[in-house]
Amino acid sequence: MTLVPVTYKGGVYRHDIIVDLIDDLGGYIIQKQVVAQDVFLQSLIPKEDIELVKATGRPLGGEVIESPLVGTEIAIVSPSLDIHHLPHTSCDVAEYLRRVGAKTNMVGLSRGFGKRIANLSIEERDIINEHDCAVFMLGNFETCIEYKMHSLRRGITVPIIVTGGPDRETLKRIIEPSVDGYVGGLGRIGHRMKKQEGEIEYLDRLIDEVSGVLDIRRESIAKDPLSVSPARLMSVIDEDLGITKGSTHPTPVTVQIAGLRVKIPYGEYADYVASIKIDDSVKVGDVAEILPSRMRDYILLRIKPFSDTGIMV
Amino acid sequence: MALDYFEVECREESGRLAYKDIAADVLQDLDLIKVVSKLYIRIDLDFPFFFAAGVLRKMPPPVKISDFAGVMVRDGNIVLDITDERYMAQMLTVLWERYGRDRVIQPDRFTVTIDSSIADAKEIEDTVVFDQRQSIYKDLLYALQWIAPEGFRVRREWVDDHRFWYVSSENTLSPQAIDGIISEKMAMLAADGEDGGAFA
Repeated sequence: MTLVPVTYKGGVYRHDIIVDLIDDLGGYIIQKQVVAQDVFLQSLIPKEDIELVKATGRPLGGEVIESPLVGTEIAIVSPSLDIHHLPHTSCDVAEYLRRVGAKTNMVGLSRGFGKRIANLSIEERDIINEHDCAVFMLGNFETCIEYKMHSLRRGITVPIIVTGGPDRETLKRIIEPSVDGYVGGLGRIGHRMKKQEGEIEYLDRLIDEVSGVLDIRRESIAKDPLSVSPARLMSVIDEDLGITKGSTHPTPVTVQIAGLRVKIPYGEYADYVASIKIDDSVKVGDVAEILPSRMRDYILLRIKPFSDTGIMV
Repeated sequence: MALDYFEVECREESGRLAYKDIAADVLQDLDLIKVVSKLYIRIDLDFPFFFAAGVLRKMPPPVKISDFAGVMVRDGNIVLDITDERYMAQMLTVLWERYGRDRVIQPDRFTVTIDSSIADAKEIEDTVVFDQRQSIYKDLLYALQWIAPEGFRVRREWVDDHRFWYVSSENTLSPQAIDGIISEKMAMLAADGEDGGAFA
């Protein structure tokens, strides 16, 4: 069964029909957002049942939108959180990635600005490495990007996509060694991106670039599949602990490509989470490493591959 | 953009154009387009430093209540009929402070009444509610800090009634490094156009 990442967008009225349907089909709802009269369900649905969900949602005014980044957590790395970089372009980029289903976290570096003085702290490095990929939002000058990129990428192990003012070819030429993705034309600006040409088109390219990078990651994971799908693990943990019901976080259990971020204290719950049963003979601790996250006191689960555990649930 | 002279100089063309847009956006956001008449920016990527120099226009006069509201005495009340809401918040703050919050009544969005026994219509008409000159230098320097690349925290700046310059860097700014460009560009702006007298 291949699960496809999609977003269901429809009215709040009777949307529980869709929720139940996705559950019955063996799909997972990664995130549910209610915005005024509308409900957005970011879900993984079996490929062959997409038409059924569309048909069921049609009388309720619902539509199913392809969202390639559902089930991924992406770090948007901004040189700082000052007015120079926020809300444009960092927020525009973060919002655009969320529209296609990604869970984005803005990582504002404490010393990411400047040319000579730019650097990355150990805490920032570790937080970025907890994500599926990192989008580095750099500035307008190729001289500065070339000079500072070495300091900013030091120790980063996840795929990096660099955006900046110079065009894509220039970014490719100046960044050595190469990174996983480049998007030109997306440097520092002073206004919200609205124009299709020269602004939104670059955001669309960024989506394509991030999707491409994550597809490669997914393919490499598929060669040695995970012991349990992250979405299934999310549903097992959430059902046992009832985290979503008791939390105000938008995504209390965040799904990543090969792991989960569970937003409850590590100290109190790590052992319990490890002991939750996935089925009669397999516990969460058997198929995943339970690690303390550098983000607050959350729990980070890294799902082990089949070759490591010999278990597939 | 409605500046008489606006130039950004940098050896990287894409960065130059980007900073031209940023400067225009920031000046527009802070409502400084009407205040700045000439602006020259140079970004040196090797030192590196950011330099801006410019000329200010003649400041608009202080805004009085009579400029945006009709003041009438009616039935023992002074009635202010607001024609432009832009300065409403500043006006209410001044009136509240002077007459007390419970005595300044706003029956609808465009009307404010005050008991005429405690207020004088002529005095209200002449009340200054907003003087751009008081905040302009602060706004101008804030704009330049915003336009400049963020890491450039070593700053020197100078503003007088008509002119200003601003230079910032991440490295130590020695007089030898910046004095030349400051005097050259200020002289250029002075020689260029009607505001030139200010630099003579």
